[in-house]
Amino acid sequence: MSAQLKDVIIKPDAPSSLLLDKHADYIAAYGSKKDDYVSKSVSSSVLVQGKMDTINVDKAVEFVLSCMNFDGGFGCRPGSESHAGQIYCCTGFLSLTGQLHQLNADLLGWWLCERQLPSGGLNGRPEKLPDVCYSWWVLASLKIIGRIHWIDKAKLRRFILACQDEETGGFADRPGDMVDPFHTLFGVAGLSLLGDEQIKAVNPVLCMPEDVLQRIGLQPDLLS
Amino acid sequence: KEREKKLQIYVAARDACFTKRKDGVFDDEALQLTQQLLSSNPDFATLWNYRREILLHLETVRNQDEVQKIYEAELSFLESCLKVNPKSYGSWHHRGWVSARLPRPDWARELSLCDRCLSLDDRNFHCWDYRRMVVKMSGVPVKQELDFTDRLIGSNFSNYSSWHYRSTLLPLLHPQAPDTPSQCGNPPPSASPQTHFHRVCEEQLLKEYELVQNAFFTDPNDQSAWFYYRWLLGRAERDEMISCVYVSREEERVAVAFSRPVNAQSVGVEWQSVHPHFKNSPVWICSLPPGTISDVANEHNLTVHWTEKHSHRDCALYTGRSESWCRDTATDLELFRSELSVEKTSVLQSELQSVRQLQELEPLNKWCLLTIILLMRALDPLGYEKETLAHFQTLKDVDSMRSAYYSDLCSKFMIENTILKMEYAEVRVFSISDRKLTTLCHLDQLLLVTHINLSSNQLQQLPPQFAMLQCLEVRIGTLFFLLFFINLNSEISTLADLQPLASCPKLKRLDLRGNPITQTTNAEAELAGLLPSVTDLLL
Repeated sequence: MSAQLKDVIIKPDAPSSLLLDKHADYIAAYGSKKDDYVSKSVSSSVLVQGKMDTINVDKAVEFVLSCMNFDGGFGCRPGSESHAGQIYCCTGFLSLTGQLHQLNADLLGWWLCERQLPSGGLNGRPEKLPDVCYSWWVLASLKIIGRIHWIDKAKLRRFILACQDEETGGFADRPGDMVDPFHTLFGVAGLSLLGDEQIKAVNPVLCMPEDVLQRIGLQPDLLS
Repeated sequence: KEREKKLQIYVAARDACFTKRKDGVFDDEALQLTQQLLSSNPDFATLWNYRREILLHLETVRNQDEVQKIYEAELSFLESCLKVNPKSYGSWHHRGWVSARLPRPDWARELSLCDRCLSLDDRNFHCWDYRRMVVKMSGVPVKQELDFTDRLIGSNFSNYSSWHYRSTLLPLLHPQAPDTPSQCGNPPPSASPQTHFHRVCEEQLLKEYELVQNAFFTDPNDQSAWFYYRWLLGRAERDEMISCVYVSREEERVAVAFSRPVNAQSVGVEWQSVHPHFKNSPVWICSLPPGTISDVANEHNLTVHWTEKHSHRDCALYTGRSESWCRDTATDLELFRSELSVEKTSVLQSELQSVRQLQELEPLNKWCLLTIILLMRALDPLGYEKETLAHFQTLKDVDSMRSAYYSDLCSKFMIENTILKMEYAEVRVFSISDRKLTTLCHLDQLLLVTHINLSSNQLQQLPPQFAMLQCLEVRIGTLFFLLFFINLNSEISTLADLQPLASCPKLKRLDLRGNPITQTTNAEAELAGLLPSVTDLLL
């Protein structure tokens, strides 16, 4: 009796190169279909950045730190289990408020690099399946805390590329599933963080192109 | 065709809801419509909001018994929603809201719902969070919840959530009093949510080791137990305090090192962080007014006051002396290893033996290897150094995806050992060569170091924190630290990699032999430009 490792198998015929043009077509066509639900995501952190003085930053920091767990990660509320999505929000927040030194970067970095499974993909917490969106939540968190080199980049890249749909364009959560804009965004952003030269550099804290942030003079803290 | 029809009904109902809400209508039809829609789409947050508005309105026009019935019906509706989708944020949030407003809540039933839900999926964090709320609202004893985790851990493999919950419960029930590490049974700490920062008293800790060991011996691939074990082997956060005060007569400066990064910017006497970008740093520098301490015939007693923490540190600068310091050593503080009682030592030694036996049976299990290393660090960092290095090499072969992590962790441990050796020898030379160092850390412990030897390693650049070995007073442009000599044989390949050294005007000798940068054309001239004070450049 033992725990079976949850993971996916990447088939030999899975996509192995970046189908950039196909993805561009997919996104461009997305809003035009009648029964699709078009969502607009607002980057709340940019909003906060412009109006930082309207919130009690000290209290907010105190609350976020109260969500830190035994493994160095963060959950939804104080006492909640660590989860990569929450970790991303909290590390991003701590970066924006200049409080990254409050993290235990070595411990959290270890928990994050243990998200990588044999397939090369990343999961969101122990014993869960890999999902391309975690290529963003986990990877960006690692970048913010200066430990992105702790995962195997080549294997992750291979996993992300395998999540592409060669016919329709776009990325799915895992190889073979149906694509959607959410996973497409994070697949592309993840590849950018991994250093793909065909994609613009993306800022890990705000998930926006670096050149946009340079233009408005925003440079959130990152640990080295 | 059928899909089209369903969509039409859905859209019609949705539009009707929005219209009603806009018109401020809170009638039965609204309840029915929202129920219909939320049954098929419980993630439609706006509709839950509207439903709550309707219920709040009903509270004002019905008596308490009727309200009780309405909310009980709501709980029933929610249960059917959760059966279909047990992971909807909307459903769980609404249930929490309803339970809190119910005139006569039945917390036992809510707890039992959680039990059932967790028996189907004990990783459902929505349910765990709801359970924690129920426990808090109804005052369920911590001991009872601890027993609950016992049952779950005993019967399930995928139990990270249970171990996590345990990590929050144990320090509440069995806290380690801050000043007396071995005493048990003291009153629980104040209601700080960061209870894991409060450690567990030793008696319970030793029992917990046994519990966890049973888990990973039953299933060595159950990673939750290994994660939790690492936490048990860890130690409390250091208190915030001044760990070192250094005075230089010649430079007329004081450097202060804190146990954790702090923001020491203040009015009056001006303090500077050594880190070029971060507001929070463990090391701060203060320039004294010229002439204050420059006369070597005088003795000076300096006191650094840390007003925020109501603490201070003294440092006496004697006649004839050009420098002075006052410091807690890493050995004094047992900075790099556990606090060990005789009992704990004995337990950890037997754990080490057991895990070693397990490792022989499971040579490819990386958790065993890592845990052996952590146990050795806890017991005797210097004594086990050779074995530690050997285990790291095996670890990198067995778990190659994370070899960069293991290299950095090994580097950290070797740096810790070097600091310990340096302190035992009472010298100010930090020498660590041929250890495949990939990262530098604990630089705040190297405030007093005069000589550094980092040859034959794998460092690719010097981190900005390197400035903690010197005073980076960019504005005044003067050096603080006595950094005379650096020997760097690593993988320094560009001028940018050496940037931190530009702030060391006292640097006279730099040995870069064996680094790729020596191969670049015009290297000598460029280096002379970057480091004008260096008279002795070896390439």
